[in-house]
Amino acid sequence: MSGGEILSTLLASEVRGDLLILFHKNPGLIDTVDGIARRIGRTTITVISDLRELLQLGLLKQKRIGASEVVFLDRARDREILESVANHLKTVQIGVAK
Amino acid sequence: MSTPRPKTGSSEFDQLFSSRIAEGGRVKTGIVELDEMLRGGFMPGDAVMLAGSAGTGKTTLALQYLVNGVKRGEPGIYVTFEELPDQIYRDAKNFGWDLRKMEEEDKFRVICTSPSLVLESGDGSLLDDVLRDIQPRRLVIDSLSHLEMFVKRDDMRMEAYRIVRYLKTHGVSSILLWESPQISGGAFSVTDVGLSFLVDCILALKPVEIESSLRKALVILKMRGSDHDKRFREYEITPAGIKIESAFSNYEGIISGSPRKVASEKFMELFRGASEKQKKA
Repeated sequence: MSGGEILSTLLASEVRGDLLILFHKNPGLIDTVDGIARRIGRTTITVISDLRELLQLGLLKQKRIGASEVVFLDRARDREILESVANHLKTVQIGVAK
Repeated sequence: MSTPRPKTGSSEFDQLFSSRIAEGGRVKTGIVELDEMLRGGFMPGDAVMLAGSAGTGKTTLALQYLVNGVKRGEPGIYVTFEELPDQIYRDAKNFGWDLRKMEEEDKFRVICTSPSLVLESGDGSLLDDVLRDIQPRRLVIDSLSHLEMFVKRDDMRMEAYRIVRYLKTHGVSSILLWESPQISGGAFSVTDVGLSFLVDCILALKPVEIESSLRKALVILKMRGSDHDKRFREYEITPAGIKIESAFSNYEGIISGSPRKVASEKFMELFRGASEKQKKA
Protein backbone atom coordinates (compact mmCIF):
# COMPACT_ATOMS: atom_id res chain seq x y z
CA MET A 1 0.00 0.00 0.00
CA SER A 2 1.43 3.38 -0.98
CA GLY A 3 1.77 6.33 1.41
CA GLY A 4 -1.10 8.08 -0.35
CA GLU A 5 -3.39 5.08 -0.01
CA ILE A 6 -2.50 4.72 3.68
CA LEU A 7 -3.28 8.38 4.26
CA SER A 8 -6.66 8.02 2.54
CA THR A 9 -7.45 4.97 4.67
CA LEU A 10 -6.46 6.76 7.87
CA LEU A 11 -8.55 9.82 7.19
CA ALA A 12 -11.56 8.14 5.57
CA SER A 13 -13.97 9.11 8.34
CA GLU A 14 -14.35 11.35 11.35
CA VAL A 15 -14.51 8.33 13.68
CA ARG A 16 -11.26 6.99 12.28
CA GLY A 17 -9.67 10.40 12.90
CA ASP A 18 -10.90 10.30 16.50
CA LEU A 19 -9.49 6.80 16.94
CA LEU A 20 -6.12 7.86 15.52
CA ILE A 21 -5.92 10.81 17.90
CA LEU A 22 -6.94 8.61 20.86
CA PHE A 23 -4.27 6.00 20.17
CA HIS A 24 -1.55 8.51 19.33
CA LYS A 25 -2.15 10.52 22.48
CA ASN A 26 -2.47 7.33 24.52
CA PRO A 27 -0.21 4.72 22.93
CA GLY A 28 -0.48 2.49 26.00
CA LEU A 29 -4.23 2.14 25.78
CA ILE A 30 -5.46 -1.46 25.89
CA ASP A 31 -9.23 -1.83 25.90
CA THR A 32 -12.23 -3.64 24.49
CA VAL A 33 -14.09 -2.23 21.49
CA ASP A 34 -16.77 -1.15 23.91
CA GLY A 35 -14.27 0.64 26.14
CA ILE A 36 -12.58 2.36 23.19
CA ALA A 37 -15.92 3.57 21.83
CA ARG A 38 -16.77 5.02 25.24
CA ARG A 39 -13.42 6.81 25.46
CA ILE A 40 -14.17 8.79 22.26
CA GLY A 41 -17.78 9.37 23.27
CA ARG A 42 -19.34 7.03 20.72
CA THR A 43 -21.20 3.76 20.66
CA THR A 44 -19.70 0.38 19.78
CA ILE A 45 -21.75 0.08 16.61
CA THR A 46 -20.43 3.37 15.22
CA VAL A 47 -16.75 2.53 15.71
CA ILE A 48 -16.61 -1.15 14.79
CA SER A 49 -16.09 -0.78 11.02
CA ASP A 50 -13.42 1.91 11.46
CA LEU A 51 -11.61 -0.19 14.05
CA ARG A 52 -11.69 -3.11 11.62
CA GLU A 53 -10.04 -0.95 8.94
CA LEU A 54 -7.28 0.11 11.32
CA LEU A 55 -6.77 -3.51 12.33
CA GLN A 56 -6.47 -4.52 8.68
CA LEU A 57 -3.96 -1.75 8.13
CA GLY A 58 -1.95 -3.22 11.00
CA LEU A 59 -1.94 0.02 12.98
CA LEU A 60 -3.96 -1.67 15.71
CA LYS A 61 -3.63 -5.19 17.03
CA GLN A 62 -6.14 -7.50 18.63
CA LYS A 63 -5.63 -9.96 21.46
CA ARG A 64 -7.84 -12.24 23.51
CA ILE A 65 -7.66 -11.68 27.26
CA GLY A 66 -9.78 -14.30 28.98
CA ALA A 67 -13.27 -13.86 27.59
CA SER A 68 -12.59 -10.40 26.16
CA GLU A 69 -11.12 -9.28 22.88
CA VAL A 70 -8.88 -6.23 23.35
CA VAL A 71 -7.45 -3.74 20.87
CA PHE A 72 -4.18 -1.80 21.19
CA LEU A 73 -1.69 0.19 19.13
CA ASP A 74 1.14 -1.66 17.38
CA ARG A 75 3.92 0.82 18.11
CA ALA A 76 6.37 -0.61 15.57
CA ARG A 77 3.82 -0.67 12.75
CA ASP A 78 2.68 2.81 13.75
CA ARG A 79 6.21 4.12 13.26
CA GLU A 80 6.39 2.48 9.81
CA ILE A 81 3.04 3.95 8.81
CA LEU A 82 3.99 7.43 10.00
CA GLU A 83 7.23 7.24 8.05
CA SER A 84 5.44 6.11 4.93
CA VAL A 85 2.87 8.91 5.21
CA ALA A 86 5.60 11.47 5.91
CA ASN A 87 7.51 10.36 2.81
CA HIS A 88 4.36 10.63 0.76
CA LEU A 89 3.63 14.14 2.07
CA LYS A 90 7.12 15.25 1.04
CA THR A 91 6.25 14.47 -2.55
CA VAL A 92 2.96 16.35 -2.48
CA GLN A 93 3.14 19.90 -3.78
CA ILE A 94 0.50 22.20 -2.37
CA GLY A 95 -0.58 25.45 -3.97
CA VAL A 96 1.96 25.36 -6.79
CA ALA A 97 0.65 27.34 -9.77
CA LYS A 98 1.29 25.93 -13.22
CA MET B 1 23.45 0.31 42.39
CA SER B 2 20.90 -0.78 39.82
CA THR B 3 19.59 -4.31 39.88
CA PRO B 4 20.50 -6.60 36.97
CA ARG B 5 17.86 -6.96 34.28
CA PRO B 6 16.92 -10.40 33.04
CA LYS B 7 17.95 -11.11 29.48
CA THR B 8 15.42 -11.14 26.67
CA GLY B 9 13.46 -14.36 26.52
CA SER B 10 14.63 -15.47 29.94
CA SER B 11 12.51 -17.92 31.84
CA GLU B 12 10.62 -17.11 35.00
CA PHE B 13 13.28 -19.08 36.85
CA ASP B 14 15.99 -16.75 35.47
CA GLN B 15 13.96 -13.72 36.44
CA LEU B 16 13.39 -15.04 39.93
CA PHE B 17 17.08 -15.79 40.18
CA SER B 18 18.02 -12.28 39.10
CA SER B 19 15.69 -10.83 41.72
CA ARG B 20 17.39 -13.01 44.34
CA ILE B 21 20.77 -11.62 43.30
CA ALA B 22 19.41 -8.14 43.89
CA GLU B 23 18.29 -8.96 47.39
CA GLY B 24 21.48 -7.63 48.90
CA GLY B 25 20.55 -4.14 47.76
CA ARG B 26 17.46 -2.01 48.10
CA VAL B 27 15.10 -0.56 45.52
CA LYS B 28 15.78 3.13 45.94
CA THR B 29 12.92 5.53 45.46
CA GLY B 30 15.43 8.23 44.55
CA ILE B 31 13.83 10.56 47.10
CA VAL B 32 16.79 10.83 49.47
CA GLU B 33 14.83 11.44 52.69
CA LEU B 34 12.35 8.65 51.90
CA ASP B 35 15.18 6.22 51.21
CA GLU B 36 16.64 7.18 54.58
CA MET B 37 13.26 6.51 56.22
CA LEU B 38 13.22 3.11 54.48
CA ARG B 39 16.81 2.41 55.60
CA GLY B 40 18.04 2.44 52.03
CA GLY B 41 14.90 1.83 49.98
CA PHE B 42 12.19 -0.79 49.49
CA MET B 43 13.12 -4.45 49.67
CA PRO B 44 13.56 -5.88 46.13
CA GLY B 45 10.42 -7.52 44.73
CA ASP B 46 8.24 -6.14 47.49
CA ALA B 47 4.65 -5.05 46.96
CA VAL B 48 4.18 -1.61 48.49
CA MET B 49 0.84 -0.02 49.20
CA LEU B 50 0.76 3.75 48.87
CA ALA B 51 -2.40 4.89 50.59
CA GLY B 52 -3.88 8.34 50.82
CA SER B 53 -6.88 10.44 50.06
CA ALA B 54 -7.30 12.52 46.90
CA GLY B 55 -4.75 15.29 46.42
CA THR B 56 -2.13 13.85 48.74
CA GLY B 57 0.35 13.21 45.89
CA LYS B 58 0.09 9.45 45.42
CA THR B 59 0.43 9.67 41.63
CA THR B 60 3.33 12.13 41.88
CA LEU B 61 5.26 9.98 44.34
CA ALA B 62 4.61 6.85 42.27
CA LEU B 63 5.75 8.51 39.04
CA GLN B 64 8.83 9.90 40.78
CA TYR B 65 9.69 6.37 41.94
CA LEU B 66 9.43 5.07 38.36
CA VAL B 67 11.30 7.98 36.77
CA ASN B 68 14.13 7.66 39.30
CA GLY B 69 14.18 3.93 38.52
CA VAL B 70 14.62 4.64 34.81
CA LYS B 71 17.52 6.97 35.66
CA ARG B 72 19.11 4.05 37.50
CA GLY B 73 18.63 1.73 34.50
CA GLU B 74 15.49 0.04 35.85
CA PRO B 75 12.61 0.19 33.35
CA GLY B 76 9.17 0.90 34.75
CA ILE B 77 5.49 0.52 33.92
CA TYR B 78 2.65 2.74 35.11
CA VAL B 79 -0.73 1.01 34.87
CA THR B 80 -3.62 3.42 35.13
CA PHE B 81 -7.30 2.61 35.41
CA GLU B 82 -8.27 6.21 35.87
CA GLU B 83 -6.47 8.88 33.91
CA LEU B 84 -5.67 8.59 30.22
CA PRO B 85 -1.92 8.49 29.48
CA ASP B 86 -1.89 11.90 27.76
CA GLN B 87 -2.96 13.48 31.04
CA ILE B 88 -0.19 11.62 32.86
CA TYR B 89 2.40 12.71 30.24
CA ARG B 90 1.27 16.31 30.69
CA ASP B 91 1.29 16.24 34.50
CA ALA B 92 4.68 14.50 34.57
CA LYS B 93 6.12 17.13 32.23
CA ASN B 94 5.24 19.78 34.82
CA PHE B 95 7.70 18.05 37.14
CA GLY B 96 10.32 17.88 34.37
CA TRP B 97 9.77 14.19 33.59
CA ASP B 98 9.54 13.43 29.87
CA LEU B 99 7.71 10.11 29.90
CA ARG B 100 7.18 10.04 26.13
CA LYS B 101 10.93 10.20 25.57
CA MET B 102 11.42 7.36 28.06
CA GLU B 103 8.79 5.36 26.17
CA GLU B 104 10.58 5.94 22.88
CA GLU B 105 13.73 4.57 24.49
CA ASP B 106 11.75 1.49 25.66
CA LYS B 107 12.48 2.27 29.30
CA PHE B 108 8.97 3.17 30.33
CA ARG B 109 5.35 2.39 29.50
CA VAL B 110 2.08 3.95 30.54
CA ILE B 111 -0.62 1.31 30.19
CA CYS B 112 -4.20 2.47 30.33
CA THR B 113 -6.81 -0.22 30.64
CA SER B 114 -9.85 -1.41 32.49
CA PRO B 115 -9.52 -3.24 35.83
CA SER B 116 -11.81 -5.97 34.50
CA LEU B 117 -9.22 -6.82 31.83
CA VAL B 118 -6.44 -7.12 34.39
CA LEU B 119 -8.67 -9.45 36.37
CA GLU B 120 -9.49 -11.66 33.38
CA SER B 121 -7.84 -15.03 33.65
CA GLY B 122 -6.51 -16.86 30.64
CA ASP B 123 -3.41 -17.99 28.80
CA GLY B 124 -2.13 -14.53 28.05
CA SER B 125 -2.29 -12.03 30.86
CA LEU B 126 -2.74 -8.45 29.82
CA LEU B 127 0.65 -7.52 31.18
CA ASP B 128 2.60 -10.45 29.70
CA ASP B 129 3.45 -8.68 26.43
CA VAL B 130 4.54 -5.46 28.08
CA LEU B 131 6.61 -7.30 30.64
CA ARG B 132 8.36 -9.17 27.83
CA ASP B 133 8.72 -5.95 25.87
CA ILE B 134 10.57 -3.75 28.31
CA GLN B 135 11.38 -6.14 31.18
CA PRO B 136 10.45 -3.75 33.96
CA ARG B 137 11.96 -3.81 37.42
CA ARG B 138 9.31 -1.44 38.80
CA LEU B 139 5.58 -1.21 38.28
CA VAL B 140 2.83 1.01 39.63
CA ILE B 141 -0.89 0.23 39.63
CA ASP B 142 -3.12 3.30 39.88
CA SER B 143 -5.17 2.20 41.62
CA LEU B 144 -6.08 -1.00 43.40
CA SER B 145 -9.20 0.77 44.67
CA HIS B 146 -10.66 0.60 41.16
CA LEU B 147 -10.72 -3.19 41.30
CA GLU B 148 -13.40 -2.86 43.95
CA MET B 149 -15.86 -1.78 41.28
CA PHE B 150 -15.38 -5.03 39.37
CA VAL B 151 -15.16 -7.72 42.02
CA LYS B 152 -17.31 -8.72 44.93
CA ARG B 153 -16.12 -7.42 48.26
CA ASP B 154 -15.33 -10.95 49.44
CA ASP B 155 -13.22 -11.65 46.33
CA MET B 156 -11.22 -8.43 46.50
CA ARG B 157 -8.51 -9.86 48.70
CA MET B 158 -8.06 -12.93 46.52
CA GLU B 159 -7.85 -10.89 43.30
CA ALA B 160 -5.38 -8.45 44.83
CA TYR B 161 -3.34 -11.42 46.05
CA ARG B 162 -3.28 -12.82 42.50
CA ILE B 163 -1.95 -9.54 41.11
CA VAL B 164 0.67 -9.21 43.84
CA ARG B 165 1.84 -12.81 43.27
CA TYR B 166 1.97 -12.29 39.49
CA LEU B 167 4.30 -9.30 39.91
CA LYS B 168 6.45 -11.05 42.52
CA THR B 169 6.81 -14.10 40.28
CA HIS B 170 8.16 -11.80 37.57
CA GLY B 171 10.62 -10.21 40.00
CA VAL B 172 8.97 -6.80 39.73
CA SER B 173 8.90 -4.36 42.66
CA SER B 174 5.48 -2.79 42.73
CA ILE B 175 3.64 0.15 44.22
CA LEU B 176 -0.11 -0.27 44.49
CA LEU B 177 -2.00 2.96 45.01
CA TRP B 178 -4.97 2.92 47.35
CA GLU B 179 -7.53 5.68 47.69
CA SER B 180 -8.29 5.77 51.38
CA PRO B 181 -10.72 8.44 52.53
CA GLN B 182 -10.86 6.67 55.93
CA ILE B 183 -7.49 8.01 57.00
CA SER B 184 -8.65 11.61 56.87
CA GLY B 185 -10.87 11.08 59.90
CA GLY B 186 -10.25 10.14 63.49
CA ALA B 187 -10.30 6.39 62.81
CA PHE B 188 -7.29 5.00 61.01
CA SER B 189 -7.63 2.06 58.70
CA VAL B 190 -5.76 1.76 55.42
CA THR B 191 -8.25 -0.50 53.67
CA ASP B 192 -11.45 -2.01 54.94
CA VAL B 193 -11.11 -5.10 52.75
CA GLY B 194 -8.08 -6.60 54.49
CA LEU B 195 -5.43 -5.81 51.86
CA SER B 196 -2.85 -4.58 54.36
CA PHE B 197 -1.79 -8.17 55.07
CA LEU B 198 -1.07 -8.85 51.38
CA VAL B 199 1.53 -6.16 50.93
CA ASP B 200 5.03 -6.00 52.35
CA CYS B 201 5.16 -2.30 53.02
CA ILE B 202 2.58 0.43 53.58
CA LEU B 203 3.22 4.14 53.10
CA ALA B 204 0.43 6.44 54.15
CA LEU B 205 0.00 10.02 52.96
CA LYS B 206 -2.20 12.15 55.08
CA PRO B 207 -3.51 15.71 55.11
CA VAL B 208 -3.09 17.38 58.49
CA GLU B 209 -4.66 20.57 59.74
CA ILE B 210 -2.26 22.70 61.77
CA GLU B 211 -3.08 26.24 62.80
CA SER B 212 -5.79 26.54 60.15
CA SER B 213 -3.59 25.47 57.27
CA LEU B 214 -3.44 22.17 55.44
CA ARG B 215 -0.12 20.37 55.63
CA LYS B 216 0.84 16.88 54.53
CA ALA B 217 2.31 14.00 56.52
CA LEU B 218 3.95 10.76 55.36
CA VAL B 219 4.42 7.73 57.55
CA ILE B 220 5.64 4.18 57.01
CA LEU B 221 3.04 1.99 58.68
CA LYS B 222 4.62 -1.34 57.91
CA MET B 223 7.78 -2.72 56.34
CA ARG B 224 8.33 -6.46 56.40
CA GLY B 225 11.83 -7.61 57.21
CA SER B 226 13.31 -4.20 57.82
CA ASP B 227 13.61 -1.44 60.35
CA HIS B 228 12.18 1.90 59.25
CA ASP B 229 11.52 5.43 60.43
CA LYS B 230 8.39 5.39 62.59
CA ARG B 231 7.87 9.15 62.66
CA PHE B 232 5.35 11.24 60.75
CA ARG B 233 7.34 13.36 58.32
CA GLU B 234 6.05 16.48 56.67
CA TYR B 235 6.27 16.61 52.88
CA GLU B 236 5.50 19.00 50.08
CA ILE B 237 4.69 18.63 46.42
CA THR B 238 7.26 20.90 44.77
CA PRO B 239 7.89 21.64 41.05
CA ALA B 240 10.57 18.91 41.20
CA GLY B 241 8.32 16.30 42.85
CA ILE B 242 7.85 15.15 46.41
CA LYS B 243 10.16 16.75 48.97
CA ILE B 244 10.21 15.27 52.48
CA GLU B 245 10.87 17.61 55.36
CA SER B 246 11.43 17.09 59.07
CA ALA B 247 9.24 15.14 61.48
CA PHE B 248 6.23 16.68 63.20
CA SER B 249 8.14 16.50 66.47
CA ASN B 250 6.17 19.13 68.38
CA TYR B 251 2.76 17.66 67.65
CA GLU B 252 0.81 14.61 68.70
CA GLY B 253 -2.37 13.14 67.25
CA ILE B 254 -1.14 13.58 63.63
CA ILE B 255 -2.96 10.35 62.79
CA SER B 256 -6.30 11.99 63.60
CA GLY B 257 -5.71 14.74 61.05
CA SER B 258 -6.17 17.39 63.75
CA PRO B 259 -2.99 17.30 65.84
CA ARG B 260 -2.29 19.31 68.97
CA LYS B 261 0.95 20.55 70.39
CA VAL B 262 2.63 18.18 72.84
CA ALA B 263 2.44 19.21 76.49
CA SER B 264 6.15 20.07 76.74
CA GLU B 265 5.86 22.35 73.71
CA LYS B 266 2.81 24.07 75.24
CA PHE B 267 4.78 24.56 78.44
CA MET B 268 7.72 25.99 76.47
CA GLU B 269 5.39 28.42 74.71
CA LEU B 270 3.97 29.57 78.02
CA PHE B 271 7.47 29.88 79.43
CA ARG B 272 8.68 31.89 76.39
CA GLY B 273 5.61 34.13 76.62
CA ALA B 274 6.15 34.75 80.32
CA SER B 275 9.87 35.49 79.91
CA GLU B 276 9.16 37.95 77.05
CA LYS B 277 6.61 39.72 79.23
CA GLN B 278 9.18 39.90 82.00
CA LYS B 279 11.77 41.38 79.63
CA LYS B 280 9.32 44.06 78.46
CA ALA B 281 8.44 44.92 82.03
